[in-house]
Amino acid sequence: MTALIAAVVVLLLGAGASLLPMRNGVRAFVAIATQFAAVVLIWWTIAPVLFDAQVVRGELPWGYPVGTLRVRLDALGAFFLAWSLPMTLLGSVYAAGYLRPYFATRRHVGVHYALLNLTAISFVLVYTGEHALIFLVGWEIAALSAWLLVIWDYTDPKVRFAGFNYLVSTHIGLIFLVAAFMILYTHSGSWFLESYGQWLARSPGTERNLVFLLVVTSFGLKSAFFPFHSWLPRAHAAAPAHVSALMSGVIHKAGLYALLRFILLIGKPDEWMGWFLIGFSVCSAVVGALYTAGQRDLKRLLGYSSTENVGIAGIGLGVGCLGLSWDAPALVALGLAGGLLHVLNHAFFKCQLFYAAGAVYQSTHTVDMEKLGGLSRLMPWTAVCFLVGGVAISALPPLNGFASEFLIYGGLFGQAAPTVWAKLALCVVAAILAFVGAVSALSITRAFGVVFLGSPRTDHPTPAHEVGLWMRLPMLAHALGVVLLGVFPVLGLHLVRGPVELALGPMAPAGISSLDALATTLTLVGYVAAALLALVGGLLGLRAAFGPRSGTKHVTWGCGYGAPNVRMQYTGAGFAVDFSERFRSVLALVRRQKAPAGYFPTDSYVATSCVDAVERRLYSVIGHGDESASRLSRRLREDDPRVAFAGALIALGVIAGLILLSSGPLR
Amino acid sequence: MTMLLFVAHALTVLLMPVLMVGLVNRTKAWWGGRQGPRLLQSAYDLLRLAGKQPVVSQVASPLFRAGAWVVLGASVFAAMIAPALGAYAPLRFDHDFIVFAYVIGLARLFLMLSAMDVGSSFEGMGAAREAAFAAYAEPALFLLIGAAAVATGQVSFAGLIGHLHQSGQFAWVAPPAVLALFILLQAEASRVPVDDPLTHLELTMIHEVMILDHSGPELAAMQYAAAVKMTVYAGLIAALLNPIDPASHPLAAVACAWAIMATVAIAVGCVESLVARLRMRWVPPYVWIASGAAVLCMVAVGWGGAH
Repeated sequence: MTALIAAVVVLLLGAGASLLPMRNGVRAFVAIATQFAAVVLIWWTIAPVLFDAQVVRGELPWGYPVGTLRVRLDALGAFFLAWSLPMTLLGSVYAAGYLRPYFATRRHVGVHYALLNLTAISFVLVYTGEHALIFLVGWEIAALSAWLLVIWDYTDPKVRFAGFNYLVSTHIGLIFLVAAFMILYTHSGSWFLESYGQWLARSPGTERNLVFLLVVTSFGLKSAFFPFHSWLPRAHAAAPAHVSALMSGVIHKAGLYALLRFILLIGKPDEWMGWFLIGFSVCSAVVGALYTAGQRDLKRLLGYSSTENVGIAGIGLGVGCLGLSWDAPALVALGLAGGLLHVLNHAFFKCQLFYAAGAVYQSTHTVDMEKLGGLSRLMPWTAVCFLVGGVAISALPPLNGFASEFLIYGGLFGQAAPTVWAKLALCVVAAILAFVGAVSALSITRAFGVVFLGSPRTDHPTPAHEVGLWMRLPMLAHALGVVLLGVFPVLGLHLVRGPVELALGPMAPAGISSLDALATTLTLVGYVAAALLALVGGLLGLRAAFGPRSGTKHVTWGCGYGAPNVRMQYTGAGFAVDFSERFRSVLALVRRQKAPAGYFPTDSYVATSCVDAVERRLYSVIGHGDESASRLSRRLREDDPRVAFAGALIALGVIAGLILLSSGPLR
Repeated sequence: MTMLLFVAHALTVLLMPVLMVGLVNRTKAWWGGRQGPRLLQSAYDLLRLAGKQPVVSQVASPLFRAGAWVVLGASVFAAMIAPALGAYAPLRFDHDFIVFAYVIGLARLFLMLSAMDVGSSFEGMGAAREAAFAAYAEPALFLLIGAAAVATGQVSFAGLIGHLHQSGQFAWVAPPAVLALFILLQAEASRVPVDDPLTHLELTMIHEVMILDHSGPELAAMQYAAAVKMTVYAGLIAALLNPIDPASHPLAAVACAWAIMATVAIAVGCVESLVARLRMRWVPPYVWIASGAAVLCMVAVGWGGAH
């Protein structure tokens, strides 16, 4: 407990010190050093919690109406703390490279670092808060500091708009959360999550369902589930790379933490909650994946892929939730372990990909795919890191994304459901997940192929170059994590074992044996990954040893055309258009064109873009909603008997429905 | 016994590709009224290519050369998980079919990246088509596996495919399952009507356009990997239909599996001779038929009740 408080104090001191009038480099150093100290202190606290199932509690008396402030750190919070702070530290190290051009200017970089420290504090508050107010304060600190971090380039109105958009969305989420807390407070008369849990566990019914829907909405907004994701692509495109990385990989995982915390508080959720969670997550995964296919901004693409990946993790949590309501320990173990491991894995590879995208941006000053190309020769480190992250995000063996998705698939194919149709429904979810995996492989092939392979598509005055050590080190650290967790997935299991045991609590003996089965499975996945690596390595070695030397170089086959140029390479838009067109109903594809006309056509252009359908619809309602409503009312004439009869019929239907509902399911 | 089966499986998935390509070509030649190449012609072609000095594009990075061997390694690895002789596979563990699907996915990713690596105006097109068609095909395999898993209660690929004929609904499940696997074979191994391996117009190709710039040993690796993929899917059909248990009658099971695979190869050849390649925009609906057939399997299993 002391170490926990010390960590918060150290981080606060660091945040304060980095605001002092010093050189920017010193400010950055102070913040990074305090974050490092906080990481050590936090690990000191959480290691026994995570590995020996201890619980750390603390209390601080406070005046009315807040009451006693209580913190409680159990395995679930410890799991999230275990990587959130170290990754924030890596992000701060990356920032030292990314913001290097500003260090020599009059810009106060210390503010940025102070905000990074505050973000780290918010993790401690959210993941340990037992008092609802501590939780909400931590939640709000995270939201505000993320907003301020996003608008680093505040002189650009687009960036300010993206930040404002994020600020509004995250507070709409807060309203839902506060509403849920109000309901819980009225029933339990207490601020503590524990007493919320007691009420939730013993009173199934309408109000519990309402609380569940409210928290899912709120945490869905935080974690950018579809359809609450519309703030995300803008914010991720506008923010500096390390901020996008931290938001996507670390900060917004608090939503999934809180979701799982509520599921654990409920104890034995209703069956519909599990199915609802799965359905909600499947929508996120599919829509997020489809949107990644059409993006031309590399960071927007990665932003949408966050929506996809929280969806995948959400499927895992949903499977675990179903397991809890069916009393199937194997399903709980597979679902929750898979979901949590995917959260961790996603943090690893998503930060890595954002860092690589940031390196591209720093080196070329653009993340527009259609202007890039051939970077693998100029930036080999970045290219390798992006490829490793890309293979991992497509959930392909032998890297870490595969291990977590394997567990989720294991839950879906696990045959633990009570009826045949439920089993088949889970298999259909697995098939959709397979589709999502294939689409994310498409997007990542497209992104890597267009940006890093081939030849540069535009001539830059200064050719791209590899980024400095400050930026490469965090990338490599993440790459190492991705590979290690892929080849030794049991390492990840050690981290998620604590939280899963927490969920399995009531089903102890069967639950522990299913966890051991999980360890065996993951060891096998590790062997598979190693065998695959060995096989490919062996083939490459054989080729190098016995194959013919590589011969002459020649131009790429251009179908016999004599004067090919770099603009004739296949573009990102060309790569995606056939696929995206098939999903026109989900995606909003905007096409502006001016066809050449007349005998001497002057200017003509065609511009396609894949904008966000939810955002577009939202703005059209906000911007033109009144017009549409008045147009509709003009078309409906009240003296028309058809309208009157239809209105009466609808009113009767609504009344009958309300009576039925209040006598049946709502009671 | 296990050793014997292992050798039989390894020989099947490593040698059948050559024979299957030969059989397809012979069948096509027969329909065309020609004698056609030798059955083992592709083996000679591969050996010839393996000895040649490759010509590499100026734009290509080291990934280009390495990609071909990742594709081959991953395809062979997948072939060790997929059953071919019935309820047997050398690598067999719980939910191994997920590893199978994703290792094939890894092969596909590196195939596409090698294609993108040379900065060509055509190869990206093939990669885009491959990626999109793979996304349409992927659910079919998982739906089929889900149906078989629920019907048999098995958790390994070899178990659930090999034991399907013991389930009560086999008569209802088998025809759509074979149809789905056959369409998957055509999609994954780039056969007519999804793709025509013999076409010589870059705009209409899928698999062949991606390996336009490969030569020498790398081309051999890519071509062999494609043939291995075809064998794997033919092997799945064989394992599904093979009524003989390989553990008790190994020789009969191997003979039966080889006969079924040869029949599949001849069927592929017949389709190629009698049907033209579909127009590109009709390929996705054709691949969706596989998913539809797999859903039929699921419905059959659902009505019949689980294992």
